[in-house]
Amino acid sequence: MDGALHRVFARQLAKATDAAGRVDLDRLGALVSEAYADAERDHRRVDRAMGLMAEELQAANRRLQHLVEELRLQNQRIEATLENLSLGVAMFDAGERLVVANSQLAEVLGLPPEAVRTGMTYRDALAEGIKAGHFPGRDLDTLYAERRRTFTPGNSRSFEEARGDRIVATATRALPGGGCVLTFQDMTERRRAEARIEHMARHDALTGLANRSELRTRLDAALARSRRGEGFALLYLDLDRFKAVNDTLGHPVGDELLRAVTGRLRGLVRETDLVARLGGDEFAIIQTRAEQPEAATALARRLVPEISAPYDIEGQQVVIGTSVGIALAPADGATPDALLKAADLALYRAKAEGRGTWRFFAPEMDARMQARRKLELDLRRALAEGDLKLLYQPQIDTASGRIIGFEALLRWHDEERGVVAPAEFVPVAEETGLIIPIGDWVLRTACREAATWPAEVTVAVNVSAVQFRNETLVETVKQALAQAGLPGRRLEVEVTEGVMLQDTAATLAILHRLRALGVRISMDDFGTGYSSLSYLRSFPFDKIKIDQSFIRDLGQGGDARAIVRAIAGLSGSLGMRTSAEGVETPAQYAELQAEGCAEVQGFLFGRPVPSEVAREMLRLPAARAGAPGAQDAA
Amino acid sequence: MHSAHLAWVPGRGWQGPAAAASADLVLYFGGRDALADGAAHRALQAACPRALLLGCSTGGQILGAEVEDEQVVALALGFAGTRLRLATAPALPGDASRDSGAALGRALVGDGLAGVFLLSDGLGVNGSALVAGLADALGPDVPLAGGLAGDGARFATTLVGAGDLAPQRGLVGAIGFYGAGLRIGQGSAGGWDAFGPRRRITRAEGNVLLELDGAPALDLYERYLGEEAAGLPGTALLFPLRIGHPTRPGHEVVRTILGIDRDRRSMTFAGDVPEGWTAQLMRGDRGRLAEGAAEAARQAARTVPRAEAAILVSCIGRRLLMGQAVADETEAVAATLPPGIPGIGFYAYGEIAPHAAAGASALHNQTMTITLLAEAA
Repeated sequence: MDGALHRVFARQLAKATDAAGRVDLDRLGALVSEAYADAERDHRRVDRAMGLMAEELQAANRRLQHLVEELRLQNQRIEATLENLSLGVAMFDAGERLVVANSQLAEVLGLPPEAVRTGMTYRDALAEGIKAGHFPGRDLDTLYAERRRTFTPGNSRSFEEARGDRIVATATRALPGGGCVLTFQDMTERRRAEARIEHMARHDALTGLANRSELRTRLDAALARSRRGEGFALLYLDLDRFKAVNDTLGHPVGDELLRAVTGRLRGLVRETDLVARLGGDEFAIIQTRAEQPEAATALARRLVPEISAPYDIEGQQVVIGTSVGIALAPADGATPDALLKAADLALYRAKAEGRGTWRFFAPEMDARMQARRKLELDLRRALAEGDLKLLYQPQIDTASGRIIGFEALLRWHDEERGVVAPAEFVPVAEETGLIIPIGDWVLRTACREAATWPAEVTVAVNVSAVQFRNETLVETVKQALAQAGLPGRRLEVEVTEGVMLQDTAATLAILHRLRALGVRISMDDFGTGYSSLSYLRSFPFDKIKIDQSFIRDLGQGGDARAIVRAIAGLSGSLGMRTSAEGVETPAQYAELQAEGCAEVQGFLFGRPVPSEVAREMLRLPAARAGAPGAQDAA
Repeated sequence: MHSAHLAWVPGRGWQGPAAAASADLVLYFGGRDALADGAAHRALQAACPRALLLGCSTGGQILGAEVEDEQVVALALGFAGTRLRLATAPALPGDASRDSGAALGRALVGDGLAGVFLLSDGLGVNGSALVAGLADALGPDVPLAGGLAGDGARFATTLVGAGDLAPQRGLVGAIGFYGAGLRIGQGSAGGWDAFGPRRRITRAEGNVLLELDGAPALDLYERYLGEEAAGLPGTALLFPLRIGHPTRPGHEVVRTILGIDRDRRSMTFAGDVPEGWTAQLMRGDRGRLAEGAAEAARQAARTVPRAEAAILVSCIGRRLLMGQAVADETEAVAATLPPGIPGIGFYAYGEIAPHAAAGASALHNQTMTITLLAEAA
């Protein structure tokens, strides 16, 4: 600076000096003043500039601090957002280094927390995955070479892959400025739930066996294979007496039993076979890759005794049985429905032929089933069109020889078939439920017609076990009596042992309610069941009707008479009247009288007749003479 | 090559050696008032009948190591083998300045073109566009030198005289040098120091700057100048603006102000101020500016160590800041170059020289630019 000032002054001096060497002091003074002013201005300028710059920098600093604070807050918000995501998030920079990772990342990927480190390379991250066993059989070099396209600008992918024991959905997106963002979502639970739902849709919850829907699917597949020559068998089975177990021991035991049956079934089939539960106590087996019918026969032969062996369920011994129907594909059906129907028909046959056995489907089973079907349709029409008739067979009091009542007997006259016996159509009616409307009709008709008879004459109506299972029975009886104007005591309901076999408490309740209407209750066909005597203790029947098989044997020596005597004696001591059916000879009648049987009915006293004839019989002395006549014969 | 200094003394005409009469080229520089009547130009035509004339008004003349304001100074050059051509064009304003440059380029382009020295009206042009138009026409290998005429600290009227055209407004004149024997050395340096925050040009139109960091540019200058704001636009030269491409460091250029618009709060610069570029204020220190001038001389001497003539174009801003100490920079140049080289020059509103880093010729501001000439024997 000093040097610079000296140079300036030298120049000022030169400028103020003329050619002769004279110095113009005024000019020199002006130049010097001007130079000082220059310097002064320059100083002020610099001071001012420095001050302003400092202010500007301070202001800029404040803005930056504010910005830093804003960024810090924003960073906190982003971090909070990231940390509260259920997704794992990773961001790599253009140098493939991990710059952002939330704590869910390790969690979702199933990596130890220390395996995820900010600053690690993408390659390192893949190496951690390999270390955790995520990419079995893959080496790092090829995996890295394949996956680093994630960084290729514009690349964006989503895929799902197994990562150890998890299923992870991954979405990747390359960032415009280089680097990429990856998000990971743990899909394990969702996929498992979907698999469970999918499994549930195809399987039975109780036993874990395939359900009906799955069976059909598998039948479709097996049928497709069968068209290429690979035949198979469909075994259809249900459990005998399962309902009784359920009713008496309760559903938990029933369920446990079904599981036990499932276990045995599984033990009987091969890996390639399919066991399905179709609901209730019905099961089916698809048996493939075997010589048929030999393999199905062998399986059924083992299956029946295996399933029938006693079960120990919650400390109780349970015994059931099974029947098996077998259909062979493709011979017995080309569709799942046809095959199932065929196997069902075979099962029906197995059960009809004594249970605890198996039957192969045969075409005539189908024909028979068609016939039954037609019978049902015709019966339905008969009911609607009034082709059903009631005939009445007289019941005779042995003491007085007088008709004291009639048993109503159902007759069906079909144009095509002629007269159809109840034994032929009642089972069909019971199976199809037609017995309910038919039974109603019988009750109403019998009551209405009996009301036209003299006041002391009763009418007996047979009521099926199926009707007893229907809750409306008591109401139907009540209405029939009311509509006919018939006193309850003139109606006699005949039940068989079959009625007493079902749910005893409910049956007894119905019996007592009927009794409360004044209706009399009689036990029909007595002596054919195996525990008949216990029924007599469970309900105070008005009358016991000895089965006609015993009556037929009377008069031929043997033990029939002893049995009749025992029943009559037992009934008498319990306060019940005894009646005998099917009395056809005077000899039989004599013996029955001798053994104290109170009532008889049979051809000896009159065949079943229409109501108006019955009414006539009551008016004619001849009607009463029937009994003495028989007496004469004895 | 021979050269001679001449000086115009009002009333006595041109004073100088007789040899000047045979000169091929005479460059002259003087104050606007001294040139305005055209007398000096005409007298020079008479004194040097063979010579091509090119001169302009200034913000001070440089004669050797001296800076002075009173005389019109000239340098007469005689060449042994170098041929010359003079071209003139109207100095069109704004972007059209590129067309002026292109017109000159078309007139001058030719075999053996070794360099061009250009003087332009200093206020009515966009100097960047003018130089770009010329450079485009000639290609990047032809060195360009010269400057924009000045008007002291007044910024009112600048004049250029060329050939038969007496000094006038709105003129550009350029001399083309042809021949393999001519050596041209160039240097350009500032010595200014950037200070304060780096700003961003947020609004500009060509060479008109409207906003820095979203605030009017003129506000910033007024604040920094304080009471000296009254002297705008001249006093804005005390704080030149260094602008740079936001992502290409090293290509910074310094821009000097030509005018202001107080209503629009805008400032017009001698070259483009592109939006998005960074801008930083600069300030000068006498010693550092003088050192910058010496650096320019060193650069030029690297190419032509034995120069036969020197042409100095410095910026009016440097003179305004340095005041009486301005001769420090001309002395620094003289001390750096070998002794005895005849030199002439002027304080300009813009300097033309290759960019030290980028190489291509461009308009500079706030620099000392030096062109050295020599002719091979």
